[in-house]
Amino acid sequence: MGIEYKLNRLDTSGVGPLVDRHWRELREAKEKGQKIAWSSGPLFIYAYATPNMASHFMAGYAAYCGGRGMADEVLEAAERYGELRDTCSYHRLHTGMMAIIRKGWPISDERVVLPIPDLLIAGRFCTEMSHYMEGIHRRFGIRAVTIELPVCRKNEDRPRVEKYVTAQVKDILIPAIEEVSGSKFNEENMREIFRKWKETCIIRNKCWEFLKRKPALWTMWDYGVSIAPIFYAMGKPESHEYYVNLLAQLEERAAKNIPAVHPDGEKYRLYWDGWLPWAFLGKFIRMMGPHGAIPVTGRYPWEFFPHPEDINPEADDIVHEWIRLLYTSPNALAYHDGPWGGEEHVEKLLQDYSVDGMLFFSSKTCRLWNLGQQEIIANIERKYGIPGVVIDGDMIDSTMVSEDQIRTRIEALLETIDARRR
Amino acid sequence: MERVLSKIAEVTSDPYAYVAGLKERKNKKIIGCFPMHVPEEVVHAADLIPVVIWRGNEPVTWGHAHVPPYDCGITRSFVDDAVRGKLGFMDGFVFHIRQCLQAGEFPFIMERHFKPAYQKVLYLPAIYPGDPTRDFALKELESFKTSLEDFTGKMISDDSLKKSIEIYNKNRGLMERVYEIRRAKPEILKAKEVMQIVWSGMLMPKEDHNELLTELIKRMEEKSVKAQRERIKVILVGCLCQTLQFDILDLIEDLGMIVPDDDLYIGSRYFANPVNLNGNPLKALVDRYLTKSPLCPTKGVWDIHWGDEAIKKMRDNDAKGIISVRVKYCPPHTCYYPDFRSKMVEEGVPEVMIEMEHEIISLEGVKTRLQSFAETIGGV
Repeated sequence: MGIEYKLNRLDTSGVGPLVDRHWRELREAKEKGQKIAWSSGPLFIYAYATPNMASHFMAGYAAYCGGRGMADEVLEAAERYGELRDTCSYHRLHTGMMAIIRKGWPISDERVVLPIPDLLIAGRFCTEMSHYMEGIHRRFGIRAVTIELPVCRKNEDRPRVEKYVTAQVKDILIPAIEEVSGSKFNEENMREIFRKWKETCIIRNKCWEFLKRKPALWTMWDYGVSIAPIFYAMGKPESHEYYVNLLAQLEERAAKNIPAVHPDGEKYRLYWDGWLPWAFLGKFIRMMGPHGAIPVTGRYPWEFFPHPEDINPEADDIVHEWIRLLYTSPNALAYHDGPWGGEEHVEKLLQDYSVDGMLFFSSKTCRLWNLGQQEIIANIERKYGIPGVVIDGDMIDSTMVSEDQIRTRIEALLETIDARRR
Repeated sequence: MERVLSKIAEVTSDPYAYVAGLKERKNKKIIGCFPMHVPEEVVHAADLIPVVIWRGNEPVTWGHAHVPPYDCGITRSFVDDAVRGKLGFMDGFVFHIRQCLQAGEFPFIMERHFKPAYQKVLYLPAIYPGDPTRDFALKELESFKTSLEDFTGKMISDDSLKKSIEIYNKNRGLMERVYEIRRAKPEILKAKEVMQIVWSGMLMPKEDHNELLTELIKRMEEKSVKAQRERIKVILVGCLCQTLQFDILDLIEDLGMIVPDDDLYIGSRYFANPVNLNGNPLKALVDRYLTKSPLCPTKGVWDIHWGDEAIKKMRDNDAKGIISVRVKYCPPHTCYYPDFRSKMVEEGVPEVMIEMEHEIISLEGVKTRLQSFAETIGGV
């Protein structure tokens, strides 16, 4: 008789109220006289640090809707409004939400409805991020600012792109934020966010150490649901508190030898590439957990500033500091998201987290993470003998997720790992 | 006229053989430029032959191991050609990776599997206001020029760049004249032939293409055309980056419609906007790139509407409707399309969208849509 594996989830319930509060405050912001900015890509911080302005982070909203099971209805509204299915589901989610507001279409969960924004900020990290801002701008006439944020293909491209992005932020974005919000951009606010955020990231990294342990004490899924405090709720006291609690739980597990997988820990340690499937986290982990398989690391969740030492809240030019983090800091997001930097990053994660196999989640409507995935799998398999498979799906659109296809590929990966162990 | 058209058809019927032969005949290196915005003039001025990369003529096979099935046709087809060794005659490539996400696939894959002697990645920015964007675009082109100089070991002077721009501008002018005649005498060329004319210009050295066009124009001007029957004029819009299947173009005409003008990439978009030759030639190329019209959905232009441009073209040509050709999995077009469609509805303009894939499974679905569209606008 085989071992009956059971997941022992960490208590991440603290994140729900924190996330709900964030979106509730955004819904209430207008009533309090604040202006609202919708931001795609990592430039939301400039609105976030501005007094009299509340900031909506578009990917965070998609994760929120997906995680709360509200995405399908909004995506249907988008389709009714004319959107075509092969566009980015985050794009459709936002245009669907705007259509619901403008048309007054009924919605079963009012939490998906946010106030009409005063400013759209497209950080054109992915080219499609600007497309949805453009669409909203054309349809609803909301002021929009788009900033080019190219993902760098080569190391040597980073400094010149950084310079360009900094110039755009200073010349175009900040003046627009100041004009719309009616308040001066506050550098001290930004420094304070960075200070608190850095402290939180240091604690978060201590938590990551427990994923390196064999057996692991928690899973990447537990971390996935814990990203919001690091990213779009950065610098808030409750974010810090959340990670303090998480670390305490992990230390307790370590003291009592309680692994993430009962009875004796995981059989397969997996790497997960690409977005997290926000609306299907439960569905996916249920395909892995009973086999004793858990994801322990991945490029996307580890892109949120894995090295707090890189963050300098006292930098002379704090506006530039954020761009430096994105482009020329040693672990810059805008390099590791590209295929070249990505491959180096994956290799490092595989070694640091002692991975047995790789799952590359390929979104049918978002190609940002798909770039080079098949190449990376082939190359890593050749170099290290670690097998990998691609699974196709979407982060929030259930019409694009085929459970059988995914289950078959996960099982095939686990069988390959077994075969190589023999 | 038939002689010129047959020469053009020869080029486009087997672009692989043509370009490989061209390399031998001219004894020059071939640089593949990914559509749609690489300024070919810079490559030309480096005494290399720029050719615009095309969607292949075979179903994707080995390429499936490198790119997902939900990438667009030209992405999958080009990668397939590259990994199957069909592009061995190319010496280098230029990829502008900011026009869409999928373009970002190529440099990585090519470096691994093709190892071109020359490869350049351009980050041309979308058209957003402000000096930083213009400055950055200029720096990109300067770096492009330097990379070509390093590759060839020869400097590109301003004069040689201006000379190349002149040749390209002449080509644009000649193509514009072909279109003018076509607008006046739409029956003079089949839509397929027009696409072949534009496409051949992307493959041939522009000097050679200019010669062909000069002769073609002369013949077109001389030729009088009598319409066989009343046909319904329609404007084709879209089909970014790649050729439209000729079968679909034939189908449109078989159904009683005729195309007096278009807004296709392998069409009027390719030769729109001559480069202004006064002053710094690289700055002039930047100016052309940053020109907002014809609106390209990859460039983030917000203050004019693609729908307005298409409607104007339709009305200028006394056409009855618009056929949008959307390449499946083309995000820039797909994201824009709902607004384009809304504009058509708002203005009461008949419009139909057909979706194009690299491998046509069946033309029947397309035929049904087009047939019903033709009946709606013209009562055929």
